[in-house]
Amino acid sequence: MTTTERAPAGSEPGQLVEMSWDPITRIIGNLGIYTKIDFANRRVAECHSTSSLFRGYSVFMKGKDPRDAGFITSRICGICGDNHTTCSVYAQNMAYGIKNPPLAEWILNLGEAAEYMFDHTIFQDNLVFVDFCEAMVKDTNPSVLRRARDTEAPNAAVHGFRTIAEIMEAFNPFEGAVYKEALQVSRTTREMFCLMEGRHVHPSTVYPGGVGTMPTPTVFTDYLSRLMDVIDFVKKAVAMNDDVFDFFYEALPGYEEVGRRRVMLGCWGAFQDPAVVDYRYETMNQWGKAMFVTPGVVVDGELLTTDLVDINLGIRILLGSSFYDDWVNEEPFVTHDPLGNPVDMRHPWNQTTLPVPQKRDFDDKYSWVMSPRWLRPGTDEHLALDTGGGPFARLYTTALANLVDTPYVKSTGSSVQISLPKGRDLPETTLEWRIPQWSNALERNRARSYFVAYAAAMALHFVEQALGLVRAGDTKVFEDFEVPDEAIGCGFHEAVRGVLSHHLVIRDGKIANYHPYPPTPWNGSPRDSFGTPGPYEDAVQDMPIFEENGPDDFRGVDIMRAVRSFDPCLPCGVHMYLGGGRTLQKLHSPMFGSTHG
Amino acid sequence: MAEIRTGKPDVAPDTPSHTKGVRQGNEKSAYANEVGHHEDGTADSRRSTGIRPKKRDPILPVMPNLPPG
Repeated sequence: MTTTERAPAGSEPGQLVEMSWDPITRIIGNLGIYTKIDFANRRVAECHSTSSLFRGYSVFMKGKDPRDAGFITSRICGICGDNHTTCSVYAQNMAYGIKNPPLAEWILNLGEAAEYMFDHTIFQDNLVFVDFCEAMVKDTNPSVLRRARDTEAPNAAVHGFRTIAEIMEAFNPFEGAVYKEALQVSRTTREMFCLMEGRHVHPSTVYPGGVGTMPTPTVFTDYLSRLMDVIDFVKKAVAMNDDVFDFFYEALPGYEEVGRRRVMLGCWGAFQDPAVVDYRYETMNQWGKAMFVTPGVVVDGELLTTDLVDINLGIRILLGSSFYDDWVNEEPFVTHDPLGNPVDMRHPWNQTTLPVPQKRDFDDKYSWVMSPRWLRPGTDEHLALDTGGGPFARLYTTALANLVDTPYVKSTGSSVQISLPKGRDLPETTLEWRIPQWSNALERNRARSYFVAYAAAMALHFVEQALGLVRAGDTKVFEDFEVPDEAIGCGFHEAVRGVLSHHLVIRDGKIANYHPYPPTPWNGSPRDSFGTPGPYEDAVQDMPIFEENGPDDFRGVDIMRAVRSFDPCLPCGVHMYLGGGRTLQKLHSPMFGSTHG
Repeated sequence: MAEIRTGKPDVAPDTPSHTKGVRQGNEKSAYANEVGHHEDGTADSRRSTGIRPKKRDPILPVMPNLPPG
């Protein structure tokens, strides 16, 4: 729920108005956005993103049995926990020197594909679209809604809504047709997930060395029939998204600036190819490139690398505005990787978490989130990569890398082609996601619906491969392993909303160091030791405001659209404070709920 | 010892915590010890049942062996 505290009437022109939304996002509401808005010039002057919640997984994982890591780290998130389990399994496989049998790998891929479909659908249609629904647009931009009523929807033949306003009405929460259908679809996609990984969202059948799923033919046909049930919804969703977002560009010239930042994207790759992957660090470059979502780093539209070893060695965890002490004087865990490359002290393998709770001060330290950066090779540039909410970076790197070539999904070098088969109502359809001009809120949102189609198309490929193995009688789904006394491992995966890495060090058969880096630390990071703002801050800062309301009844919808386009998990409790130019009272102890007052 | 009066124990202290002959899931080469699982990744009906398993294998050798559970 959004609660809006009204400001005292009449703020002077040119005066900066402080506004905060805390908490936004992330299940227990640990993200806050603090802005200063210049209403006279209709711009956001300054933005800080802050987290008031300390998690401490890296602290309490120490000394635990490494085999438990997948089950414990799954609890990091209540919506994409299985991404952590999967990533942990990848890291453990490397540490134990094993690989999953092929059928187990397909089962894992099928589960993850269902997770992407489920999570993106529920986030896009039930949470993001609330910012674009008829009720919201009527409240914030009535002139845009009037125009939407007269604008024909170009893809009406696919989704059945005649005008843009009709689509927006279907987005209305609790009442709209799309909102309600999306809830049904996310139920079906969750069932698909449970068939493969046992339980949503903390899998019960995913272990290092394989899965415990019983690979009967029925498991796969049950999955396939559910997938075919939702395939038409996916086609319609893409058409609706295209219509609405194209309309926003047209109705509000300059809207491309909302949430826009330099193209600096990271994707750590998803869906292993069992024919190539052996989980050895030495061959990580080869099996990374064989993944069905290509890993990579894109800066200014140029693909810098697709090599997971480069990606791994470039990760730096910076401090600067975070409530932690530096760990540079601690003993390093990993000085060189298995290929002999030096590993930096600021790399997750060597990180020691030393929390120092303190008062929030936007001029000094103001967040529990650290600042993960990626050191551009050959330079001193610590890039504040974002994930574009996940799908945007995944499609971008996959399109540019031109490596993915499957019967249903093909990368072309500048686009990704996705073929979906005939469904109940709609014919066979080929969708094409082309690299857009900007990295902004609308393009991040648009990519999300295309990635649902991508995951659905890939799932078809995975089902065919898995059924092929089953028909040949190959039903092996797990591998024996022993936990070594000393080992290191790293796992790279894509959580639903972007990059995910797990770094693991085992000593005396126990976890000596474990650092999961999910997407939100990348996206929601504060200013680092070089003063570089994190992606949320960067995207919102200097952003124009298109909302027609003044400071008295300001909803901040443009800022919300910008921040939510990064998919900051669950924007479940958004509270708003209108300060009318007054300085917020700085009584902050870093504690959840302190601004609810 | 605290001065708590207790009765005669129901269980003899030498009761084994493990019964011989029963496989433990955590032991080494668990896969090789699982009945019905073959080294090449295939399986037979012994994986699913101990009751006349051979009668439940496919009737022709070209057919894949897909035990139900």
